[in-house]
Amino acid sequence: MSLTEARPADAEPPGEPPTSRPAWRRAPIFPILLIWIVLTALLVAFALVVPARLMGAAASPTMREIETTFTSFSLAAAPVAALVWAILLYSLVAWRYRGGGRPTDPGPPVRGNNRVQVVWVVVSTALCLFLLIWGLIVIQPSTSEASSTQAPLVVDVTGQQWVWNFEYPAAPGAQSDELYLPVNQRVLFRVTSKDVVHSFWITQMGVKVDANPGATTTISVTPDRLGTFDIRCAELCGLYHSYMQTHVHVVRAEEFRSWLATAASQAPTGEVPSPSPSGTATS
Amino acid sequence: MRVSVGAAATVLAGVVAVGIAGTAFARSSASPPLLKATVNGTAQTPQGTLPHAFLQLDTWPDSLAGPHGKDGGPHPDWVSYGPSTNLAVPAHSLVTVTIRQYDTGEEITNPFFAAVHGTVDGTMTVDGATVRSADPEHIGHTFTVHGLASNKDPLFVSVPLPAVADDAPVRADGYPAPHVVTFSFVTGGPADYVWQCEFPCGDGTYAKFGGPMSEQTYMSGTLTVTAQA
Repeated sequence: MSLTEARPADAEPPGEPPTSRPAWRRAPIFPILLIWIVLTALLVAFALVVPARLMGAAASPTMREIETTFTSFSLAAAPVAALVWAILLYSLVAWRYRGGGRPTDPGPPVRGNNRVQVVWVVVSTALCLFLLIWGLIVIQPSTSEASSTQAPLVVDVTGQQWVWNFEYPAAPGAQSDELYLPVNQRVLFRVTSKDVVHSFWITQMGVKVDANPGATTTISVTPDRLGTFDIRCAELCGLYHSYMQTHVHVVRAEEFRSWLATAASQAPTGEVPSPSPSGTATS
Repeated sequence: MRVSVGAAATVLAGVVAVGIAGTAFARSSASPPLLKATVNGTAQTPQGTLPHAFLQLDTWPDSLAGPHGKDGGPHPDWVSYGPSTNLAVPAHSLVTVTIRQYDTGEEITNPFFAAVHGTVDGTMTVDGATVRSADPEHIGHTFTVHGLASNKDPLFVSVPLPAVADDAPVRADGYPAPHVVTFSFVTGGPADYVWQCEFPCGDGTYAKFGGPMSEQTYMSGTLTVTAQA
């Protein structure tokens, strides 16, 4: 049953006896249904493939949870979006005024349909509740992390125009421009900035937190995949914001301990040459 | 039908016009000349025996001695690097850079950049002395290379350039005797990087990173790591 009393171009002509076809097989429902099925199939295919691949292979349980949420929400939204687009497309094509000049007839008044409205509100409410409940569950800290008795590895992250610097309080003096982490050990990042607002983003681990000057934000993650991943700044922070990138290397525990010991032993001590009126001149 | 075609043609014409204008604007200013590092022999590094390339740069308190000519170009009072800010170094090589620093300075904005980062052994030499940092109260400029993480070998090298004393006597060429800073780093594979001075002293825009700080032939440039022939 149509929502208005306007007669679609391909509806039964007036005065003709009604056909035996059910309503859903007549225009405009049937063509809208076909368009909706095609669009839904395309959007579902997109939702299953694209979101999970956008940011590379997940390197932590957090990122896998994010990708699952992304995919599930896309799947839930696909038929809804497809229905809106199907009605829109059909309306633009089938009910377009084809006469010459401006139409003089203002068109029939729109009437409501209680059944359609109730179904629309109930389904929308159910979908929104689904998204809300899912989101509230995902946003909670992981129970495995919350109950972990192992103290996390603390890493101090400092953002500055336009470099990331990492320090390890457990090994005084150890600092690096590239992040090194042991696999399968929880890490607590304490993030700050020396100048403007940056955003510390480990793309494949689902770690993203603002680096604010004068304040410390925290976020934790457990990397569970060996390899090298990208760290970027996700908050426009000046001219070279797009170059504010570095790597995170997730290595085995023994490799990490070895690297940390080396980094701590190379802590800069610095002999400082005072400015002299006559520096060494070369031609 | 006529309306649709007209609308599509207008959009297409607009896109073409913007494309032509943008391309012309981008090409309107000539790129600085390329300064290639000179390869001379090999060197022992932690990564093994590698070709040894050398690069010589200068930093001046103005633009009168560098690539802008004796009249200093459009901004004679801007601090500048020279002889060029477009640099090319070979891949998988040890690159030794010598910078003659002629400019005065003051306390650096961010003391992180008063330390040496990314060089071999984390050191540099200043007038023959090997150090890991410079006095953050007396920094003239820095030479800082930014490496991109995606699909490139990371290359972050940052070296502070100590300031010449304010009361240093001026020589016949109009500049004081410079500090000579030498440092070495190892390049990875071919890639394009940017470098700039991380001690902002530009005009009031962009938190003093405007003006000479963000223009090639002054305080920023490109570093191209080229495949070896």
